Amino acid sequence: MELTRRDAVTALTAAGITTTAGCAGLTGETGSDAEPMEVLVSLADVLYPSDIEPTPEFIETFMYGRITDEESYREELTAGIETLNQLAADEQGGAFHTLSADQRRSVIENTDLRTGPSEPDGSDVARVNYYLLDELLFAFYSSPTGGELIGNTNPRGFPGGFGYSPSLEQ
Amino acid sequence: MSTNESTTTTDRTPVDEPDVCVIGAGPAGALLSHSLAKRGHDVVILEAGPRFDKESRVDRMKLQIHPDREVNEIWDMGGERDEYTNSSERPLPLNKRRVKGVGGTSLHWGSVTPRFRPRDFEMQTRHGVGKDWPISYEDIRPYYAQAEQEIGVAGPDDAPHQPPREEDYPMDQLPRSYSDKLFAKAGEALDIDVQQEPMAINDGTYDRNQCQGYGTCEHVCPSGAKYSADIHVDKAEEEGATVLTEVPVQRLEHGPDGEEVTAAVYETPDGTTHRQEADTFVAAAGAYETPRLLLLSESDQYPNGLANSSGTLGKYFMDHGGGFVIGLLPDEETHVSEYGPVVSGGVFQFYDEEEPTGGINIMLVNVPEPSVAEVAIGSNKIGDALLDQVELQYGNTLGMSIVTEMLPREDNTITLDESKTDDRGNPVPDVDISDGQYVKDATEKAVSESTALIEEIGGNVVFSQGTHTPDADYIEDTKGGYHPMGGTRMGEDPSESVVDSTLKTHDLDNLYISGGGVFVTGGGSNPTLTIMALSLKAADHIHEELRS
Repeated sequence: MELTRRDAVTALTAAGITTTAGCAGLTGETGSDAEPMEVLVSLADVLYPSDIEPTPEFIETFMYGRITDEESYREELTAGIETLNQLAADEQGGAFHTLSADQRRSVIENTDLRTGPSEPDGSDVARVNYYLLDELLFAFYSSPTGGELIGNTNPRGFPGGFGYSPSLEQ
Repeated sequence: MSTNESTTTTDRTPVDEPDVCVIGAGPAGALLSHSLAKRGHDVVILEAGPRFDKESRVDRMKLQIHPDREVNEIWDMGGERDEYTNSSERPLPLNKRRVKGVGGTSLHWGSVTPRFRPRDFEMQTRHGVGKDWPISYEDIRPYYAQAEQEIGVAGPDDAPHQPPREEDYPMDQLPRSYSDKLFAKAGEALDIDVQQEPMAINDGTYDRNQCQGYGTCEHVCPSGAKYSADIHVDKAEEEGATVLTEVPVQRLEHGPDGEEVTAAVYETPDGTTHRQEADTFVAAAGAYETPRLLLLSESDQYPNGLANSSGTLGKYFMDHGGGFVIGLLPDEETHVSEYGPVVSGGVFQFYDEEEPTGGINIMLVNVPEPSVAEVAIGSNKIGDALLDQVELQYGNTLGMSIVTEMLPREDNTITLDESKTDDRGNPVPDVDISDGQYVKDATEKAVSESTALIEEIGGNVVFSQGTHTPDADYIEDTKGGYHPMGGTRMGEDPSESVVDSTLKTHDLDNLYISGGGVFVTGGGSNPTLTIMALSLKAADHIHEELRS
């Protein structure tokens, strides 16, 4: 299942951000050879279920919305990608987005990514957890697409309207 | 979260000769201020906390969903400003229960708005417990209707087990959620009436956003459909009221004869001290901070605290007993959180029983488990393994949140802890509250009936606990402190109470107290609607006084 820009817009709506994004790219210097988009897609690719194909449109729209909304978030994103690439280089000898899926999983499993603390003002890795991994997981699992995988079209945190209540026979 | 108004450029100088100075911009102060301002009175509100940017609510909601963030972080509570001491035997995480800022604790309340019942005002006469209020249900009844109209309550007009009403609710009751329907069906088999709770959530009728179904009403509603008192603070400002934020009041000063308050002394963020004078003062800083403010305002004339010639200031403090019952429905989807509002149904049938007599409100919870995103973020797994874990953990729970009545007791107190000070150097409040058998009996009854409902549906109760049940093994969400009441109680006898039936203090002619602190007994209903109704009643009295 390919995640579309429409999914991202719904995720953005969940995050309360109105944007016309989709035409502007996540480009710019990150302190490495990778562009932010490539890193984020490659990260989402291993975070999300295998049936889900995170697209640049999904990432770009969701993350771009965050970036245009908050200068501070842009800075955290840039710094987080640097940290992620450093971890990837130490673990697997290359920038994160250049690694195979197995290698990327290995980077996550062999470091404090996911298992370590997730804090907005913590260590470099704790901030990667908070601003990148948790943001990507929130975007997916508070969207109808993520919710539908477990039978919930209006997951908590998503403004899908109120009063949905199937009959008992369903 | 740096999304509040500027703390450096705002004018925080006193207002020149206002009619009324209200201390606190929460539910107890907001409706009262609006009621007075719209009748032409010059009102100034002094608020200890900030004015929160509405645009920040989505990020605050995400803090709520994040498994590593604490509840107090959502509305920036904690730190030296909000220090307190808990001398109670049970945990009392006050800063996860209250908000300082424009809107006050209504920013994070659940918006469940039942009225108190006729019996709540006469528990001594009816059951020989507690103490009768100096007012009856009939005295407050029109103010309940007024408060419901002001804030917008969606409620069940024809449901049983409600106090008498003279008119319909302003909005139709919220529809039944899937779990409400399961409970209602089980209730039919058990002769338990499951009905809709009155909720201050906009279904589209009121001039604020309609509910968008975030499912996070408690502790933040990003859409603004849930009523919060900042709405009436805004309305009061539109009628000419002035609001000063981040100006914690340090003490109240009185005149030489001790019969009138002359000024509220407050500090600004840069440490400047100002005196706000006014004709009338209303202390509406919440049931934790109002007694503290009066105790801090001791003087030669009032050595035990302002308005405390009765010696009851800070005494007869109450909370509600509470608890959760959570059930698991094997292999059946309960559509957790898809509905939106966190509560929509309830059971009031056991509120007015012969035995136990303690009031009971069983709220049926539509979100009895963490959100999908919270489960996902909190896991260590990724990819398919993460999805498997989320699927395993999510989607087939049922739950109740319980409110039960605690009796007022003289030895349940709020005092000053002279050994600890806040960021302004003032002694912090010290809360010492313990439950009694009365509330334990009511909670056990509520837990028992809740368990029966879940088992009738076919579920297994996996968590059954109340803050006041014996051997309570506390979990985060049932530590109490949600519904502080008493401590500045109302009464006819000045030797036994702090305020009279108009909420004016017995001791000072121009000092009123608005809030849960004036409650004489606690009932089994969530207290905020009664707080607002009483505040509107007090506003009428103040209006009449100012006119004369």
